[in-house]
Amino acid sequence: MTKILFSDKLDNCVERWKSGGFTIIGPVQRANISTYAAVEHAAELDFGLVLPDRSIKDLFFPQSEPMLRYTIKKESIDTNECLPPAGPRIIFGARPCDASGMSIDDPLFGWDYKDEYWFQRRNESVIITIACTKADDFCMCTSLKMAPDTTKGSDILLRPLAGNKGWQVEELTDRGREAFSAIADILQEGADTLAPLAVVEKKFDLDACVTWLQNPENFESRFWKEISMRCIGCASCTYLCPTCHCFDIQDEGDTYTGIRRKNWDSCSFALFTMHTSGHNPRSTQSARWRQRIMHKFNYFPGKFSVNSCSGCGRCSRQCPVDMGITETLQEISTLSL
Amino acid sequence: MTEHIHNTQQNIYKPAIMKIVARHDEAPGVRTMKLEFQDPADHEFFKETYRTGMFGLYGVYGEGESTFCVASPETRKDYIECTFRQSGRVTSALANADIGDLITFRGPYGNRFPIEEFHGKNLLFVSGGIALPPTRSVIWSCLDQREKFGKVTIVYGARSVADLVYKHELEEWQERSDVDLVLTVDPGGESPDWKNKVGFVPTVLEEAAPSPDNCIAVICGPPIMIKFTLISLKKLGFDESNVYTTLENRMKCGLGKCGRCNVGSVYVCKEGPVFTAAEVSRMPSADL
Repeated sequence: MTKILFSDKLDNCVERWKSGGFTIIGPVQRANISTYAAVEHAAELDFGLVLPDRSIKDLFFPQSEPMLRYTIKKESIDTNECLPPAGPRIIFGARPCDASGMSIDDPLFGWDYKDEYWFQRRNESVIITIACTKADDFCMCTSLKMAPDTTKGSDILLRPLAGNKGWQVEELTDRGREAFSAIADILQEGADTLAPLAVVEKKFDLDACVTWLQNPENFESRFWKEISMRCIGCASCTYLCPTCHCFDIQDEGDTYTGIRRKNWDSCSFALFTMHTSGHNPRSTQSARWRQRIMHKFNYFPGKFSVNSCSGCGRCSRQCPVDMGITETLQEISTLSL
Repeated sequence: MTEHIHNTQQNIYKPAIMKIVARHDEAPGVRTMKLEFQDPADHEFFKETYRTGMFGLYGVYGEGESTFCVASPETRKDYIECTFRQSGRVTSALANADIGDLITFRGPYGNRFPIEEFHGKNLLFVSGGIALPPTRSVIWSCLDQREKFGKVTIVYGARSVADLVYKHELEEWQERSDVDLVLTVDPGGESPDWKNKVGFVPTVLEEAAPSPDNCIAVICGPPIMIKFTLISLKKLGFDESNVYTTLENRMKCGLGKCGRCNVGSVYVCKEGPVFTAAEVSRMPSADL
């Protein structure tokens, strides 16, 4: 027997979870963009999106985050931690690619030195993912050996029922089971027809790409210059990417008091690697695009045994000059034939 | 992977507070500062952790943090010395700080020169300009236990006589009978009373022709000097695995997270900054 959560009962769940101390976060349309944000009622959630413009990365690794507050006194300096606002939260309706993106970055934020800001938010979040029944031309999870119902990184996977009636519940972790035990009486036991999963066409041969990238001879291939010719270095791809994790540390304040912040940064920017001397190891846009691709599909998996890409396709979908990882890897697939 | 706890604090981004107890101008725009820990726990952590070759992030709240090496040796851990050129926002703020002022320090981070493996061997140090500080940390770490090493040769050069750093220590090394110091300045950089060599470091190194037998070379300098020094060492017969260098890339976190210091797959902040020339030659040279 499987458990079913009917759509019309979702608001009861939201109420129940809220009274249990959870903040409810889900896909919403805000101004002109879709994103994941806190909601009061289930009706605010928008499940019709293929996926929101912005990924759930923002919820774990905000665009700008206060880390330390400093006060400089006559004889001493005080440093106080600004930890993320505490409190459990439920992310309802994440996409599988977004959920898996968070688990991809766990080893990075945890190797040797543990980033408290990331892990506190990770530990306080229950990710309830809804499998995809819709995809667009940019979706590429299947090319990354994932699927519209990938469970990686999710605490609960919900499989949509036919006719938008609700979801079949798949409990994946203890954290997910705990959140769902609080709504056990709202769920119904039974079986129903599932809506068909989205069909996501495979766009490139990942293994062939990785082999090509790992060959040192290809590092200085003309390909990199050609493929990145039109990149304007705007970093939209980085910022919207669920797995891009690079950041800058900046102080904001005056001489006596202020805040040290962690801000998103991007390997697309020339200043990212510029030495004080003026020497820049990645001085051209093509070197920077190569770094981005190499990092995601060669360096990162070499260190953490997982690609730093979950196949959401936002990099291509939102690129102002119509570039993206999909196109680059498609070309590499052809080159490696 | 081992679990580190930075400065006994859980928060890896929280720096230690250091007091400037001495400062010294080395060359135009280049200053050395001697720093003391304010919190004994931070100092204890440093004493347990620090080995020559490691680096730190030195900062002034309100301005930010800058990465440079710990210039003092692992044999002297009561304090930290750092040497920097005033060039940007943070280094200007550091240069404006006076004796008695407080600054911040995060570290020590990175790997180290494995000097125990150098025991019984001859040592050749080759350095250029503002890159003497990291080399100097290794030099003093070895000179403070001089008996454990063979012949010590130091080849150091700068653009001009004024640009040589640690001038007082250079004099000291020049006077020591157990150290062979070869000093040079770039052509045109000599002063009327300059009695040492004139020429670029790699050329002067080839003239000095230290023997590669049972010898470890430690080189540090601007990328262009490293490139040509490696060629000269190869000519002299040095094996790449006996040549060590330290890479200094731009960093923000120093902890393997912020993503900017990597050369190919290598995170300089965690897997470096100390590498053998053999390791460097496996990195994509276009990204160095």
